[in-house]
Amino acid sequence: MEQHNRFWRIALLSLPLGVFGLFVIWPLFSSFYYSFTDWNGFDANYSYVGFDNFAKIATDRLFLQAAVNTTIWMIAAIVLPTALGLMLALLLDSRVAGARVFKSIFYLPICLSAVIVGQIWTWIYQPDWGLLNTVITQVTGEKFKYAWLAKPDTALWSVIVAWSWQQTGLSMVIYLAGLTAIPGDLLEVCEIEGASPWQRFRRVVLPLLAPSTVVVVALSVINSLKGFDILYIMTGGGPFNSSDTLAMHMYNESFKKYLMGYGSAISVVLFLIALAIIGLYFRQLRKVDRIYG
Amino acid sequence: MNQISRRGVLLGSLAIPLLSMGRMAWAQAGEVTISHYFTGELGLKAFNEQVAKFTAATGIAMKESPVGHEDFKTDILVRAAGNSLPDVFSYWAGARVQFIVDSNALHPIDEMWAANGLDAVIAKPVADSATLYNGKRYLVPFNYHYAGMFYNVKVLTDAGMTAPPATWEEFLALCEALKAKGVAPIALGSKNRWPAQFWFDYLLLRTAGPDYRARLMAGEAKYSDPEVAAALAMWKDLFDKGYFVENANADDWTDASDKVARGEAAMTLMGTWITGYWNGNGLVPGQDYDFFAFPKIADGVANAAVGPVDGLVIAANAANAAGAEQFLSFMVSDAGVQAAWANAQGALSANVNVDPASYNVVMQKAAATVAAAEAFAFNYDLATPPPVAEVGLSMFTRFIDDPSQADAILAQVAADAEAAFKE
Repeated sequence: MEQHNRFWRIALLSLPLGVFGLFVIWPLFSSFYYSFTDWNGFDANYSYVGFDNFAKIATDRLFLQAAVNTTIWMIAAIVLPTALGLMLALLLDSRVAGARVFKSIFYLPICLSAVIVGQIWTWIYQPDWGLLNTVITQVTGEKFKYAWLAKPDTALWSVIVAWSWQQTGLSMVIYLAGLTAIPGDLLEVCEIEGASPWQRFRRVVLPLLAPSTVVVVALSVINSLKGFDILYIMTGGGPFNSSDTLAMHMYNESFKKYLMGYGSAISVVLFLIALAIIGLYFRQLRKVDRIYG
Repeated sequence: MNQISRRGVLLGSLAIPLLSMGRMAWAQAGEVTISHYFTGELGLKAFNEQVAKFTAATGIAMKESPVGHEDFKTDILVRAAGNSLPDVFSYWAGARVQFIVDSNALHPIDEMWAANGLDAVIAKPVADSATLYNGKRYLVPFNYHYAGMFYNVKVLTDAGMTAPPATWEEFLALCEALKAKGVAPIALGSKNRWPAQFWFDYLLLRTAGPDYRARLMAGEAKYSDPEVAAALAMWKDLFDKGYFVENANADDWTDASDKVARGEAAMTLMGTWITGYWNGNGLVPGQDYDFFAFPKIADGVANAAVGPVDGLVIAANAANAAGAEQFLSFMVSDAGVQAAWANAQGALSANVNVDPASYNVVMQKAAATVAAAEAFAFNYDLATPPPVAEVGLSMFTRFIDDPSQADAILAQVAADAEAAFKE
């Protein structure tokens, strides 16, 4: 019987494993391979260049900038949606009138594709007639024409705002679910014992929300690593590479400069970074499991 | 109610990609596959009409996959990398074709060229500059464009322009007059970077000349040369005087064109494809809009015209090379196709048998301007190798963002371009 089961397990797993291997593992290893070549994408004749591409990364000014931007992007893309989601969840959990309607509204952006969100926010940021500048003009009474996405100082942050706007709904929903699991009696006892609202939040609610936080942060990390499309739509890494992330830099080097070998080297570095982050995350997850499991 | 079983859904989801892969792999015999960037405002409908004429004349079906102009640049590389280039694809003559010729990814067409007598069909200056790479022919010019100063007739007439400015001083005076009237003299939409390049091209060509510029594009001259600094200084002067619209880096080229069409700005330095866009929006050539050539700046400098040539090329490993050659020959030789295509797209035809009278008044003038020019130069991103073009295009937007940084930007670009030429 066990033998029979094993056969079926392998048989049924072979198809998804095959697909995964063909479309994920194989390209992954090919890019490892190409990272040691000077392939340009068109030419079948390319040569082995050893670690030249990796040495170039060390001196690449745009790579450094992209690495800094990626760090900013990851931290902001984790902190902002998590904090905002928690705030909204706490507000909506305290029986506000129309809480259901608000929940749906705040959740709605997550249903949109990143391309649509990017386009909506591109219009909001449009300098001449965009919503943001129009509001500022109305409030201050002076014509305000700042080009949010076309200025190097604000381009990346403007995209982060759009991103957080979309992702907040997801963390809100997860936190709302977490909040329902906190027993009402416990909070009541705290209140009777004279704990202030801040103490109740800090000492009771927040620790009990830890499992939700793990899920929210995990999703934020994964989503922010994938966050290429919205940046591509809104700034394309511009103006002049000021909002480039590593993924965008890899894309530019590979597909705009036709340096496939170098682009592959960047992708290998990006892969190792992602691996390290995910490794760290799994370690944390095990800790949480030990405490709450 | 019919319930769809889970197994059915799974099988279906497997079958769909498999089926579509099969379709790709077993394209019908005799068919020619093609990919091109003539989409949306660049005339997909008109392109398909011309392709239908080819199919009607030869019985060869074309299987096409149009891709947006900006995305095409990536898409074609992805297909090349995957060894799945279509038989025929549209491409920009110049450094980009040179790049794939050097990579042995294109099919030479010398025999087809000779057999069909294309020497007698294609205007010699275009044939010489756009079709020959490493001594062989690889491309037929499907159409070409010319970049000029396109303007709103009413706005410039109101500002007192009686004749187009022929010299730099006259041009500056015109800008001053427009500014005094409260109109932004020059619209520019450089969000996608390339629209800015025509300014650099013309300022350099009109001051340092076509020979110097060709050397700069080939990596034989340097961005730290005084010629480049002088051209950039003239450009900076225009920004300092407030002749450009605000926030050019936030706009697309169509946004800039719209500003001129609405009369918020007076003119924009753009390729003749703007006529196709404006005609499509109901503007009347010669009446609502017109153009003048970029004014002369220095004496004794050859008068060059700038523009891209849209070509059709054949992949080296084309499944149906014979059909592809027939397609290229037909599309460039048939005067009816060439005239209809040029007019629909707002382009010029390199086919000498196309009657200039078939163009609208503005395009007739453009054709005459190119014919009278002493040299035809490809625009920046088609004149210099792709890795260098990336450096330069970013330089333009950085300069537009803060022209006061011109010196620092040039120093950086000189170093970056030198490194990029080594790639």
